[in-house]
Amino acid sequence: MIAALRAFTDRLLGRGDATITVPSFDGALKPNQILANAETVGQFEAPEDLATDGNALYLADGNTLRRLDGVTITEVRRFDRAITALCCLPDGGIAVALDGREVKVFASAEAADAAVTFSGSGMNAVNALSPGPGKTLIATDGSATRPYSQWVHDLMERGRSGRVLALDRASGQVRTIASGLRHAFGACVAGEEIFASESWRHRVIAISADGSQRPVLDNLPVYPSRLSAASTGGFWLTAFAARTQLVEFVLRENAYRRRMMAEIDPEYWIAPKLKSNQSFLEPMQGAHIKTMGVVKPWAPPRSYGLVIRLSASGVPLYALHSRVDGVNHGVVAAVERGGALYAIAKGPGRLLRLPLAAIETELLR
Amino acid sequence: MSDIILKLNNATKLYAGVPAIENIDFELRRGEIHALVGENGAGKSTLTKVMAGVVMLTSGTMEVSGVAAAPRTPLEARHLGIAMVFQENSLVPTMTVAQNLFLGQEKFYNRLRGIYIAAQQFLQSLNFDVTPTATVGLLGAAKKQMVEIARAVLHNARVIIFDEPTASLTPEEKKYFFDLVRDLKRRGVSIVFISHALEEALILADRITILRDGKHVVTDDAAKFDRARIVQAMVGRDLSNTLYGTRKTTVRPAGARVLTVQNLKMAPMVRNNSLSVFAGQITGVFGLVGAGRTETFKVVAGVMKRDFFHGGEVILHGKPVRYRVPAPAVRAGIAYVTEDRKVEGFFETMSVARNIYLGLLAKLPGGRFFLSRREADKVGSGWVERLKVRSTGNAMKVVELSGGNQQKVVIAKSLVQDPDLIIFDEPTRGVDVGAIVEIHELIQRLADEGKAVVVISSYLPEIMALSDRILVSRQGKVVEEFSALEATEEKIMYAAVH
Repeated sequence: MIAALRAFTDRLLGRGDATITVPSFDGALKPNQILANAETVGQFEAPEDLATDGNALYLADGNTLRRLDGVTITEVRRFDRAITALCCLPDGGIAVALDGREVKVFASAEAADAAVTFSGSGMNAVNALSPGPGKTLIATDGSATRPYSQWVHDLMERGRSGRVLALDRASGQVRTIASGLRHAFGACVAGEEIFASESWRHRVIAISADGSQRPVLDNLPVYPSRLSAASTGGFWLTAFAARTQLVEFVLRENAYRRRMMAEIDPEYWIAPKLKSNQSFLEPMQGAHIKTMGVVKPWAPPRSYGLVIRLSASGVPLYALHSRVDGVNHGVVAAVERGGALYAIAKGPGRLLRLPLAAIETELLR
Repeated sequence: MSDIILKLNNATKLYAGVPAIENIDFELRRGEIHALVGENGAGKSTLTKVMAGVVMLTSGTMEVSGVAAAPRTPLEARHLGIAMVFQENSLVPTMTVAQNLFLGQEKFYNRLRGIYIAAQQFLQSLNFDVTPTATVGLLGAAKKQMVEIARAVLHNARVIIFDEPTASLTPEEKKYFFDLVRDLKRRGVSIVFISHALEEALILADRITILRDGKHVVTDDAAKFDRARIVQAMVGRDLSNTLYGTRKTTVRPAGARVLTVQNLKMAPMVRNNSLSVFAGQITGVFGLVGAGRTETFKVVAGVMKRDFFHGGEVILHGKPVRYRVPAPAVRAGIAYVTEDRKVEGFFETMSVARNIYLGLLAKLPGGRFFLSRREADKVGSGWVERLKVRSTGNAMKVVELSGGNQQKVVIAKSLVQDPDLIIFDEPTRGVDVGAIVEIHELIQRLADEGKAVVVISSYLPEIMALSDRILVSRQGKVVEEFSALEATEEKIMYAAVH
């Protein structure tokens, strides 16, 4: 009764859970146009994830696994289902998640048969893989109820069924490290802990060996996604969309949200997108987007592109942005190779390359 | 008849030996609109207060219509035909418009109906749409301005001085106000107005005078100015001013985020303000008066309350907080060092030690039932020594200290609470040069120790010298962020007024 009364007054006064606010991009997250101006290495049909063995760069593109050696892009192999996650292993192997429901580990990228296959165990939307301690593989399963491609449904249903899994390559066992997460999307080993992104809670958490959790980076102005290790220590964290007050408002309006989901094409929901400005049917963003016919970079974003450089302890050092007026939006993966950062902008289907020395000179001088 | 209605020659005004304005020559032509522009502390208000008889010149002369004049009170200035409309208007809110208009001009026998009719006729003659029977407290900002202007015209003012007249007006009200000013000009009234909005000076004024650090920089026709020239003239300081050191070459990296303010609202001063403050850094907050900086951080510290409905969020160490009074904020590790130390900073008739001890007591939940004089002396002595407060002893009253040492007591009162987040609001206002250096060193040391430090200042060199990152506030929200390495005075001022 008291909780209901509190919920009512919170909604009336705009307090507590009903506070519709979004943090600003400031400090290390101060906007720039570096990602928007990044070099495009290639355009792909459905790029999803990146991995590197230190030499070559591997790209999951729909059902196809591709390799980038220098400037040449070659097809390595095809699968019968879409690849939803990819990672290279320290022993030269490669792991792929297919359709979010199955994880296969190959001894090499060219190996004909999988050395180990993980399926079942409730895996439904495996969206990121990362090498774990020993012979384990860390996987994040975004949702137990919605497939990977329906992440926006999971957001609108306020899903909280995400998990972090440890896949033991030696025994073939799957162990749940953390559950009840609001869309786990990306993980990486950080010393004795595992850092994992929890997209719908806009934070990165550290999970220790005993399963306890602590927030490393919270209250982000974006929906964080995959993590990868940086060569000089620390991590790269990608974010596939930015939060807006309008979406936060819709997420709190249950009746409106349910009706929207029932009656409107998901393409036109008031929800974050990987790319925008494609149709006049797109909903308004709560403020005008153009001034004198020019898109305002600071307008409320329907789609956004962001990569955050984190220190080893998870403190943001700087960020690379593609703002509202850019197109390199929906960044879902970033890995470092040969002094450059490669990132996937899933919105336009681009593989981007950013020389790190020049960027760090500009941002960390 | 001379074209010059008001003239100041070599005008100098000293406050406690410090010049607020120095050797300023100023001429106001008959029927012109003259804008006074400058940073906070440039001497605009002092200059206009001299004209309006609020303060008297220390040296120099003033002439009204070619005749030497030295008004000692606003009433004397009014008799000379000079009226001033202050930012905080001087109307009596519980009286009607008509009563306010005729306040001070009452006859032996007053008839309400009579003054209502007279006020109605007078307001109509000015084409002012204000009801004479309305209570002033219930009027909007623009209507109050109208009543102030009408009162000035009623007193046959030939010169009307406006101090920040548009600060509290909506865009529509501003347009109406501009029309009124132009109408007054047509009637032959000369207008002096102070504004921080450069567009207003460029649009409305015939001539613009720019002051800097109490000195006259330039007076010219408004048509010969553009925004860049005004900003350059406002901030182009004498480079021999070395108190604030050389340009920074390194900044401290940001630590963990200590404070996040999200969409904070406190009408009318804070409008949807969002910002973050990080540990181990000095975050400088610059803005002109009325930019909502102080109010934002007073809400954070529980001194003021945000809007009741949808007032936004304050997040401290990752947890939303809402302080209705300062005590819980102090216990949570927030210290706010006030800009107005005499009113909010200390108990002036209490001793230095007791004032500092009070800071410690504020941190304890529920205070303390028995107070220990020995503990107060011990705590006081420790901080007096650490901050080098120059006093004759712990028993010395704070009122007997110099401004700089009073400020150190206020700072000590906050630091004794061992806060994580320290907000300095105008930390060196009214402080002597020696104490400024010591206070700056202290602020730097706190950031080096890993504390999150916020410095709110209206003085650009101070912001530039102290800050690792600079937030620029305008009209109730942070509009720009600079790293101290990329910031220049021109860039900051441009963001503050654009």
